[in-house]
Amino acid sequence: MASSLENLETQLEMFIENVRQIHIIVSDFQPQSQNVLNQKLQSLVHGLQEVDKLKSQVQDVHVPLEVFDYIDQGRNPQLYTKDCIEKALAKNEQVKGKIDAYRKFKANMLLELSRVFPAELNKYRAIRGDE
Amino acid sequence: MMMGDQFRKVEQYSPKSSPRGARSPVVSRQDSSGTLKTTILLGKNPSIVPSGPFYLMKEPPVDSELTGATNLMAYYGLEHSYSKFSGKKLKEQLSSFLPTLPGVIDAPGQQDNSSLRSVIEKPPIVGKELLPLTSVQLDGFRLHPGPLPEQYRYANQAPIKKHKNKHKKHKHKEGGLPNQETPVTEIGQDTHEKKHKKQKRHDEDKERRKKKKEKKRKKQKHSPEHSGGLTPSQHSNT
Repeated sequence: MASSLENLETQLEMFIENVRQIHIIVSDFQPQSQNVLNQKLQSLVHGLQEVDKLKSQVQDVHVPLEVFDYIDQGRNPQLYTKDCIEKALAKNEQVKGKIDAYRKFKANMLLELSRVFPAELNKYRAIRGDE
Repeated sequence: MMMGDQFRKVEQYSPKSSPRGARSPVVSRQDSSGTLKTTILLGKNPSIVPSGPFYLMKEPPVDSELTGATNLMAYYGLEHSYSKFSGKKLKEQLSSFLPTLPGVIDAPGQQDNSSLRSVIEKPPIVGKELLPLTSVQLDGFRLHPGPLPEQYRYANQAPIKKHKNKHKKHKHKEGGLPNQETPVTEIGQDTHEKKHKKQKRHDEDKERRKKKKEKKRKKQKHSPEHSGGLTPSQHSNT
């Protein structure tokens, strides 16, 4: 998986570099550069073919749509990862807090019930099987 | 008479008038616990005896192995990612994530129709075979000599930014991308030569800066407005 992504990254980088060079060529065009430009255009098509070949290798890569929003706004997509991790951690802590609170509540409840209704609680424990 | 009847009917069905409140006694309510079993004894001394195990006792939920009580970050082996992103302050701009990408990429994508959303909303035509251009097709790319018209030169702003990030780029990639100012003939030449050129340019820049500083100092000494304070640029230089 990692290698296929790296391949795609390399291909895309080469493609972008090719486009950049075409930009330089056409920004102040010289007649003698026509052949070079033609070669660059052909390599552009070749680059697209290479990227197209790699698409089968990255079919199982899923990208959250929200990441696109970050990129479209010119923001670092790693901020999305960071935000996700922070949110997950906060939620995890909240849920853990709730679970701990309920555990304490259950223990206290059983303690108090066994004091007030000892017979019933023994019955209850016997049914539950957690004596 | 009619009016009076209507009111009576409304009152009859009003929940307020019901002795059991809003609930109809006819509607049977389900036993949510599933264990509420009672025996009703009629006769001289009617009584209700619970015959089930325990009133309101539900089956406990099945214990799941993974709950929120576990440190999920550790469970899924994401602690490394967490420490990577939580500790340091990430740079906001997209260009800091993709430093090698040419052009202005920090601007919103909707401005120049380059947003990724638009690719999803309006997918491009796909499925056609990509074929190399024929000589006839290439004739369509025969260009007139000379520089580009003004309106198409906006992308030329990029090299200034690239120049600033030059040192950073070397850390990421060994063979740096050719600078945008490089003439067409130099594209694809040995990177070793470029390094030397860049070093030379760097030295030249240093000398130029020194000269500028000296000039500024002289000017400030001679100018009547000189108050002895430093300009913001001097602050940053010193």
